[in-house]
Amino acid sequence: MEIKIENVIKQFPPDILALRNINITIPQGDFVYLVGPTGSGKTTLMRLITREVVPTKGRVLVGGTDLRKLGMTDIAYYRREIGVVFQDFRLLSHLTAYENLTFVQEAIGMPKDLIEERTNEILDKMGLWRRRFLYPEQLSGGEQQRLAIARATINCPSILLADEPTGNLDLQTAEAIMKILLSINAMGTTVVVATHNQYIVDEFRQRVISLRGGRVVRDERKGRFEINDDF
Amino acid sequence: MTTFSYVLRDAFRLVTRNITLSFLTLVTTVAVFFLMSCSILLVMNTKHIVAGIENNLVITAYVNKKGTAAEVVADKIGKLDCVDSVRIVTPDKALEILRARLGNQADVLTLLDDNPLPPSVEIKLKNASAVSVVARELLSMEEVEDIVYAGELAKRLEIISRFISKFSFGVLAIALAVGALVVFNTIRIGVYARREEIEIMLLIGATPGFVAFPFVLHGSIISALGALLAGASVFLSYDRVVGALKASMPFLNFMTDRAVVMDLWLLLVGGGLTVGWICSWLAVSKFVRQAMRPH
Repeated sequence: MEIKIENVIKQFPPDILALRNINITIPQGDFVYLVGPTGSGKTTLMRLITREVVPTKGRVLVGGTDLRKLGMTDIAYYRREIGVVFQDFRLLSHLTAYENLTFVQEAIGMPKDLIEERTNEILDKMGLWRRRFLYPEQLSGGEQQRLAIARATINCPSILLADEPTGNLDLQTAEAIMKILLSINAMGTTVVVATHNQYIVDEFRQRVISLRGGRVVRDERKGRFEINDDF
Repeated sequence: MTTFSYVLRDAFRLVTRNITLSFLTLVTTVAVFFLMSCSILLVMNTKHIVAGIENNLVITAYVNKKGTAAEVVADKIGKLDCVDSVRIVTPDKALEILRARLGNQADVLTLLDDNPLPPSVEIKLKNASAVSVVARELLSMEEVEDIVYAGELAKRLEIISRFISKFSFGVLAIALAVGALVVFNTIRIGVYARREEIEIMLLIGATPGFVAFPFVLHGSIISALGALLAGASVFLSYDRVVGALKASMPFLNFMTDRAVVMDLWLLLVGGGLTVGWICSWLAVSKFVRQAMRPH
């Protein structure tokens, strides 16, 4: 699904201008890094796509649908097309790794046999099979991140949004996470990654959209992380 | 099927996760529904007692001893719609009744040379409210010398019955409001305890109904179970309570039909289920709507 953000302005009360006249088009299957200093509007942009936030002006079209026009049930079905990886993982602490994955499939009414099959498959793929009965707090940071990615992708979304997926991870684990994201992208999923990590942006070169003060200041194919992006 | 089993499991998890709160809510709902059923039974019994007294409400009209005065009065008054039945009591019959009432002291009647008792007409009414109408009608007849009836008693019974109905309605309304509030708050606490989970569920595409249903089921189960237990305690104790009341007040006609109490039990469970459902839905839907509302 193509993501089209047209002339979007977002103002939070009382007068915080988070986004200023943003125009971005992300074709299906693209891999995009959103870079920029804290408060530049990266997270707001991602939340526009999940429809947690609606623009003050302008519109967000995903797969040709104007998100503002969706009703409550429509939003639920729309969100099934989107996987979200949160910076703080947001795994459910009272559920095991296995249950964290089955939970999201049950929530959208998937058949039981398919749930088991998919869960086992993705746990194996993410290298978490032997850790499946552990609770999130018993997993390492990298394992928790892999579980969060597994949860975001298990329902085969068309779009994957990852907010700082390598934050607080060591270099080796960050690389492993990036390889997973790239492999998901290789299967046709649009991936949008908000990051401060210069190493991964430069190492795994993709489209880079740089934001500053709520404006797009750079949109470059196979771009690099520039020193201005984070200062 | 997966959705249904998930909802059942999740509702069970909600009950067990906060077992103390669930138990306290259950105890409160049992107390509330017990109070409600007691007030319903109070109204039903009052109406039953009043109806019983009304059915036996009799006006005695004493008539003069001239010829067929009793038959004339009986004929005229028997034509009124509010009159159930009419019986003529001859002086001889009246003496016989008096003798029976006096029992061992009936010998005193042998001192009488003649039967002094007048003939009378006993008029049974359909309801207490007609007493004054019939009394006025009787007093307007020249054959009637005097009338005796429990007019004041009938009026008081009507007033008491109306007061008990209003009082019980008040108790019912308050109990219902308390029960509803308790269920509402229990579900609300459950919702807030799981707000993060709910937010994640909504973000990954769970429909509002799917998120809300376990909470609604939780509230309905607790409320219906409370009503079931309250109904059971009322059903099991009703006979004993009525037996004790009958022993101390044998002149009152209490309701003894167990089928009515059984119907009340079923009604309570239905009511409990409905109240639980509505309150839980209100508690969770507001939160879900807020969580779904974009910023």
